[in-house]
Amino acid sequence: MGAGPLPLAQEILNLPLTLNINGQTYSNINVPDSGMPLLWVLRDILGLTGTKYGCGIEICAACTVLIDGQPEKTCEFDVGSAVGKQILTIEGLSPAGTQSHPVQQAWIAGQVPQCGYCQPGMIMACVGAIKAGHRGSEIAGELENLCICGTYQRVRNAVSTL
Amino acid sequence: MPTNTQTPIAPTAKKKNMGRRGFLASAIGGLSIAFALPDAARIFGIQAATNQQLSNAYIVVGTDGTITLLFGGSEMGQGIKTGLAQILAEELMIDWNQVTVKQSLVDPVVTYITGGSSAVSGRYNNLRLAGAAAREALIAAAMLQTGDKTRANYAAASGAVTYTNPSTQAKTKFLYKTLATAANSAAAQALGPAVLPLTDPANFRIIGKSIARVDIPSKVDGSAKFGIDIWFKDMVFAAIKHCPTIGGTLASTPKKPSGAMAVVPCKASDNRGAVVAGSFNAVAVVAGDTWSAKNMANSLAVSWKLPASTANVDTTALFAEAHTLLASSGQALTAEPKPAAGVTALQQTAIAEPGVLASLGTPTVDATYSVPYLAHATMEVLNCSVRLTYDASNTTVTMCEIWTPTQAANWVSATAIGLINAAQSAPITASNVIVNTTFLGGGLGRKIEQDYVSQAVQVALAVKKPVKLTWMREEDMAHDNYRPMAVVNVKAKLTGSSISAFYARNVSSSILGQRGWIPPGAVDSQAVEGMVGLPYALGNHIAEWVPQNAGIPVGFWRSVGSSINTFAVECTIDELAQKANMDPFDFRYQLISDPRTKAVLDAARNMSTWRNSLPAGHAWGLAIAEWNGTIVVEVAEVSGSATSLRVHRVACAVDCGTVINPNQVEAQMQGGIVHGLNATLYGEVTFTAGKAKQRNFSNYRMIRLGEMPEISVQVVQSGVKPSGTGEPAVPPIAPAIANALSRLTKTRIRTLPLFPGATMGD
Repeated sequence: MGAGPLPLAQEILNLPLTLNINGQTYSNINVPDSGMPLLWVLRDILGLTGTKYGCGIEICAACTVLIDGQPEKTCEFDVGSAVGKQILTIEGLSPAGTQSHPVQQAWIAGQVPQCGYCQPGMIMACVGAIKAGHRGSEIAGELENLCICGTYQRVRNAVSTL
Repeated sequence: MPTNTQTPIAPTAKKKNMGRRGFLASAIGGLSIAFALPDAARIFGIQAATNQQLSNAYIVVGTDGTITLLFGGSEMGQGIKTGLAQILAEELMIDWNQVTVKQSLVDPVVTYITGGSSAVSGRYNNLRLAGAAAREALIAAAMLQTGDKTRANYAAASGAVTYTNPSTQAKTKFLYKTLATAANSAAAQALGPAVLPLTDPANFRIIGKSIARVDIPSKVDGSAKFGIDIWFKDMVFAAIKHCPTIGGTLASTPKKPSGAMAVVPCKASDNRGAVVAGSFNAVAVVAGDTWSAKNMANSLAVSWKLPASTANVDTTALFAEAHTLLASSGQALTAEPKPAAGVTALQQTAIAEPGVLASLGTPTVDATYSVPYLAHATMEVLNCSVRLTYDASNTTVTMCEIWTPTQAANWVSATAIGLINAAQSAPITASNVIVNTTFLGGGLGRKIEQDYVSQAVQVALAVKKPVKLTWMREEDMAHDNYRPMAVVNVKAKLTGSSISAFYARNVSSSILGQRGWIPPGAVDSQAVEGMVGLPYALGNHIAEWVPQNAGIPVGFWRSVGSSINTFAVECTIDELAQKANMDPFDFRYQLISDPRTKAVLDAARNMSTWRNSLPAGHAWGLAIAEWNGTIVVEVAEVSGSATSLRVHRVACAVDCGTVINPNQVEAQMQGGIVHGLNATLYGEVTFTAGKAKQRNFSNYRMIRLGEMPEISVQVVQSGVKPSGTGEPAVPPIAPAIANALSRLTKTRIRTLPLFPGATMGD
């Protein structure tokens, strides 16, 4: 690390922002502050509402997306820190109009969702675990997403097939 | 009982009220049928069962070949969209892949309140009649083409009517789409049968099958739209800030922060959306995004007026008061035995209680149970989007569109009409309000309320822009209509292995009373469920309730009063089994006469044989609940202690009558058990000086996957009429765990949650 404090994101970033989301470049993104959490940029500015708000304090994980392949909770993740990285949300997991990703297929086969609200975050966390090379019960041991409907057993069964 | 009339009338509901209901049909042509009970009674002279709420189906058989089934309830994860369509498709004689299911807009016939675990089961009979009526109308249309009016020569299958010529045996096939227009004609109506033939359950093709849910694909690819996902390019975003103290009101309108589009004082509303006069209990901050609105709301300096009673709204003091009420005489209302005509519930206590107390003598068991306030904490927080259209002068609202996750869409409509008409001289009517019921990210009883809807309409009226109002999690949890806290005392006398006297008294706030839905002095059915109509022979018994006016809003929380009373009752039954030195299954079995309950108990016993070979340090416990016709028995395996507990396994046997979709019954049992488990282990909202302490999951803990027990579910097929599955799995899990833990630690559990003050982090 070089001498002196790192500059704040605001100081090094040019607004409006450019983000790479689901393989697409979104430019001219006007945000009020580069400290705005990625969650709200996705949902309110870009209308990508598949990523959910649940708690705002990184507990429930409904807001999980992949950033450079890593699962990240976005409710407190500064949008500035996502610039220049590959952001993958639930909308980009499979080609448009399909649910062809193996995790999505396992979820359908296992009839996992009930209300469905936590599931995009649950699925993205699971995809992240698979990308990290984890499988089956190993994944189940890592998932910390809250589901009030109680789909945990079906999640556990679904990931055991992956 | 079905009765015949001489003037059969074909389905003509669309004549009466085309409106939006008729819109789809007029767009694609063909047969459309909306059914309410009065319609079902009219159609072909059928008199359906009279104890059901309005039915909710709307069938459109299009001339373009589409078959659309609209439903008027709320899909909140219970699979209603699939279950209702299964019932209709069965009797309509179409294949599952021919069905499109759509959410209905608010309609006086089609829309109903989704609650009480009745969304599917409560509509079973009427939906079968609806499907059958449509099918018979289509057959009548075929009769018009062939000229042969003998019903026996027609069969319907896979969306077509096949006519067999009796002399030549030649078969002619008519697709429904070619019959749809004629099926609506007076001539077809005249041919309708006097009694609708229903499919023999032995021949069911779709009912009783684990059909994959129609909403699940959209819920794994992010395309499912919950209320909070409604988004327009020109939308503005509002965050709500309530007075943190219950009952507090705005002293003055706060200054608009720079950067905010507006600050809107919001009037409080009652549970049906009517404005509470003069009471501004919240302020909304409007901005270009929810995050900015939330930040400005958080830092907004607001001056609140607090009611004089604020200091009393303190859960420690309220529990002390509840214990005083529990011990005092003169205020208890008796729910069971039911008072004779002309005797009040209060008088009944004086009549019936002395005899029970005499029979109790020195009770074998005398214990008091307490449970706390609980938040709903639906994953999707409360939210509502509103878009108003104004006349040319931009002063009068001519149309109001609402998108919201609601369990009561028809109340949403009324809420909006009330607010808009109070703000302008030219009134709008229901036809000017379009309520779009979105998917609900959980309902659990909270989304029947109108507070969040009312606020969103108020903000839209103030800013004249499409707006989405969101309650941040902290507002959602601290301004709930909570599951009431309660204390319950149970006394019982054991004589041999029988119960000779049983007394139960519950002290809790009245959900119905707080809404003015029952008069003072009446027993709140919600407060006493789970302590009346018990399956056991109880000897001389009484069930009483003492209302407590605690000043905290209470509401319907999945399984409502049973979540309280079943804990007290089933722990008591278990303690009596211990005193009688009997196995908890055997003890219960010999006190029960209902064969259905016995069969479920048998099933649970057989599926939990693991309990006979548990490792050291593990124990099992059992509990039964009956909930509006559904019987659930749960057996839990636990290890650990009162300070460190692990629930390993739950065996769950259920009889919910005729099963529509077994896979969804299993899902509801799993979900109910998790809901009850959260409350058993962690759930608790406490108040100090009118403020809720719990404002997020950080100190309102829920189980995560790692804490999930292995749940096995077995459905006992009694073949009786369907009953609900959303709620009945909740009540037994707390006593099952408490009974297991008591066996392990030799100490009875009397208070929930087991781990008060539990926290969780990221």
